[in-house]
Amino acid sequence: MKNLINFLIQYSVVFLFLLLEIISFTLIVKNQEYQKSVFLSSSNSMVSGMYEWSNSVVEFFKLRAANDNLSEENTALKNQIINLQNKLSTLKPETSDSIHFRIPPEMEYQFISAKVINSSTNKLQNYITLNKGAIDGIKIDMGVISDEGVVGIVKTVSTRFSVVIPILNPKIEISCKFKRNNYSGGLLWSGEDYRYANLTDIARHVELALGDTIITSGLTSAFPEGIPVGNIEDFKIKESDAYYKIKVKLAVNFHTLSHVKVINYLNFQEQKELEKKSEDQL
Amino acid sequence: MPTVLQNIFRFILLVLVQVLVLNNIQFLGYINPYLYILFILTLPVQMPRWFLLVLAFILGLSIDIFSNTLGMHAFATVFVAFFREGIIKLFTNIEEGNNPTPTFYTFGVSGYVKYIVVMVLIHHVTLFTLEAFSFVHFWMLIAKILLSSLVTILLILGIQSIKSK
Repeated sequence: MKNLINFLIQYSVVFLFLLLEIISFTLIVKNQEYQKSVFLSSSNSMVSGMYEWSNSVVEFFKLRAANDNLSEENTALKNQIINLQNKLSTLKPETSDSIHFRIPPEMEYQFISAKVINSSTNKLQNYITLNKGAIDGIKIDMGVISDEGVVGIVKTVSTRFSVVIPILNPKIEISCKFKRNNYSGGLLWSGEDYRYANLTDIARHVELALGDTIITSGLTSAFPEGIPVGNIEDFKIKESDAYYKIKVKLAVNFHTLSHVKVINYLNFQEQKELEKKSEDQL
Repeated sequence: MPTVLQNIFRFILLVLVQVLVLNNIQFLGYINPYLYILFILTLPVQMPRWFLLVLAFILGLSIDIFSNTLGMHAFATVFVAFFREGIIKLFTNIEEGNNPTPTFYTFGVSGYVKYIVVMVLIHHVTLFTLEAFSFVHFWMLIAKILLSSLVTILLILGIQSIKSK
């Protein structure tokens, strides 16, 4: 009897070990769902509060680069204003009598600016935490861009913070196309280098050149058409392949990313409902 | 009692260093040292095994919450904690009744280095394999494991040799 008890006591550690490992493993497998339960991810307010504090220190050292970016964007915007003013002045006589105020549907985007408070680039599955949340109007599945180009898609939202899946995560594929001939394909990260990703589904009859610009296709509701994604760095095709292997240099430098804009597509609800309705009718 | 306080302090310090400093090291895209494992490595030798496992789980989970990798660090840390006693017995001969904390003095230099190397390797192999969850990028995985382990081992040995002076 004493031996039996000793035996059980001795192996109770093994049982505990197995129990803890099973808990951990379930957590890993169910990661997807648990991430949505904001409590155990980095959009938890205590954790993100700490990241925000640490980020404010790091940000100080990135101010110069951020300033350069801002002033560049400023000049670009000013140029645009001048161009538009010129165009407007030539159009005025024609539009004065017509009552045509409808905004084209593809223009109905609003931007919410946010700051990156935690990010990684060296894991196989990277995430970015932002300092804006539901209170600022951020919702799940919104697209995120920076001044340079596409960053990713919002995955989890708490009241004051949100977590973004960037391009640097094999869990998302972003629909892109070539700027010059509109052929579209999916952009997937290879998991190796934070500067490059792969473009898939481009058939062999498409003409390519090194350095071709790749932009978003606008086929998904997360991103409007024409936001830069990157340039072709290298492409290969074997005799037997039907599709190109294209290496894309990403427009965004994820290593120095600090300010982003979240895209709020105002017609999202209407578009989704319409699409659902037509699916139901079939 | 002071050892308990010392360990609580070490726990907090290591988690903070790991999360705020080391997780941001992205040298060559391969190296990400996981120094926090030092906490498990420096607990007293005769600590009850169940308690060691529970501590390892809490430690791993704390790191997980900060780095959005739920379960991975917990799994790897509990795994390495489970094998700690066996590995200590393998490399050292500590008499019954003694309860030293692992250092260069108590284990002997070669015993201690072997202990650290094996423990860190077990932890990193488990962790990186879990992170990849497949062997698609096999050579990249091996490179990541070896480089990161090397840096972690050097960091730990460096810290411990400074402390022992």
